[in-house]
Amino acid sequence: MNIFFHELKAYRKSTIIWTFSLIMVALLFLSMFPSFAKDADEFKKLLAGYPLAMRKAIGLNLENIFTILGFYSYALTFTTLCAAIQAMNLGTAIVSKEAREKTADFLLTKPVTRTQILTSKLLAAFTSLLITNVVYLVAVNIIASQVKTVDYSVQKFVMLSLTMFFIQLIFLAIGILFSVIIPKIKSVLTVSLATVFAFYFLGVISETSGDDVKRYFSPFKYFDNTYIIKHSNYEGSFLIAGAVIVAAAITASYFIYLKRDIHAV
Amino acid sequence: MNVIEINNLTKTYGKSRGITDISFHVEQGEIFGFIGPNGAGKSTTIRTLLSLIYPTSGSATIFGKDCIQFAPEIKKEIGYLPSEVFYYDNMKVKNLLKYSASFYKKDCSKRIKELAEIMDLDLNKKIDDLSLGNKKKVGIVQGLLHEPKLIILDEPTSGLDPLMQQKFFELLEEENKKGATILFSSHILSEVQRLCNRVAIIKEGKIVTVEKISTLQENNYKKFKVETKLALDPNYFIIDGVNNLEANGNVTSFLFKGNINTVLRKIAEIEVTNLWIEEPDLEEIFMHYYEKEA
Repeated sequence: MNIFFHELKAYRKSTIIWTFSLIMVALLFLSMFPSFAKDADEFKKLLAGYPLAMRKAIGLNLENIFTILGFYSYALTFTTLCAAIQAMNLGTAIVSKEAREKTADFLLTKPVTRTQILTSKLLAAFTSLLITNVVYLVAVNIIASQVKTVDYSVQKFVMLSLTMFFIQLIFLAIGILFSVIIPKIKSVLTVSLATVFAFYFLGVISETSGDDVKRYFSPFKYFDNTYIIKHSNYEGSFLIAGAVIVAAAITASYFIYLKRDIHAV
Repeated sequence: MNVIEINNLTKTYGKSRGITDISFHVEQGEIFGFIGPNGAGKSTTIRTLLSLIYPTSGSATIFGKDCIQFAPEIKKEIGYLPSEVFYYDNMKVKNLLKYSASFYKKDCSKRIKELAEIMDLDLNKKIDDLSLGNKKKVGIVQGLLHEPKLIILDEPTSGLDPLMQQKFFELLEEENKKGATILFSSHILSEVQRLCNRVAIIKEGKIVTVEKISTLQENNYKKFKVETKLALDPNYFIIDGVNNLEANGNVTSFLFKGNINTVLRKIAEIEVTNLWIEEPDLEEIFMHYYEKEA
């Protein structure tokens, strides 16, 4: 437990900054909604002028963009991108931080198993993401209720927002795997930005082709907001794919971390 | 009882040399020196004992238990001080030590205060703001605060001023009197001579010899360097106990073991312009061991 609290404390500042930034991004978008909804017809004409492939690529859906849920889905593509970076940062730093700050010797010569260390750190990162999402969800729900033009389903709103959390978990797991595979990560941000954007653009490409199979390649496309709004449900096969990635990456990380040599600096 | 027993321990990795077939044991209550030049494999051996790295073959036990299999249990009673200390920078010394203590299920706050006082360490400073020497002190307190039964030190004196080194050695001797066994790795012979009962000498990943310090001192080598006005007959100093004889113009140097008076008498017979008699350094001692093997 002591490692858990120590780690959580170390994440405190970054958690606060990320949570605040995510809420700001959502606020920025949602505050535009009232004026956007007022001139809906004008915008519709304007947006219809863009090619369909491009609209799909940037996540615009003309059918629902003028409802608060649809508009929020659009905003969500940006907050999710940021949130993915937050999660990937956390994951990548989990083990590599000890190597970079050269504190691995300190921790690993204490009477704890490596499993205990990794588990504590993992739980701390998870808790940090959980706190981010709970605060975000409450804040964004309040904002949405202020800018709405007609009532909306809070359940669907929460379901949409949760996709951000799920995607974060996937990137957290990928990040941990990276941190145990790559022996010395000099800059966490470089690794995490590169990975997150690579997957993001992979998602953009898969969207334009309209091929469902290609969606599996990018966690960003595991949750189709239009589908969620329509069915109040997630797509099962993608939910499973996400869970499998998280489970596999974390299991592999444990295996590698337990077996690996911790070298002197 | 042997606190540490190392049996045919081998660790190879990639290009860099590891250790080959290392065996020695450290008895309870002993201060055991582990000495060798940089890169000889001291740290590799120690890191294997602490299960930071895993051996390629062979094994080691601490307190009679396998050091890999029972690592967490064993480590309750081990205090470790690495050669380079780095800690969570934005923590206060006090908080780091508390964090360190939280891993051991006992109250260490009194001991922390005592140790900090002995080592003259300010507990309220941020680790970031500490000098290298002061960081080292944090490391020392961190390694001793839980009163371990086995203290493992990997080149611990670098960065400490002579006064602190003295205090640190006294502290170690005190811990030793209380029953702690100490494994002390160093590349400085005088440190080891001052502190240890027995010593293992390692070179290029292999144990060269394990000897009592007293035996080493009996083999008390002196390094002579004689400068003369005229070039000497190169054979002049070939007597019993002379090693590594080198003549370089007017300067003749050699290692000598035995009754020092015989050499002094020889020197008195010639016209000397300058004379140095020194303790041989570690490298030269090693040279001696190599010659013995060859």
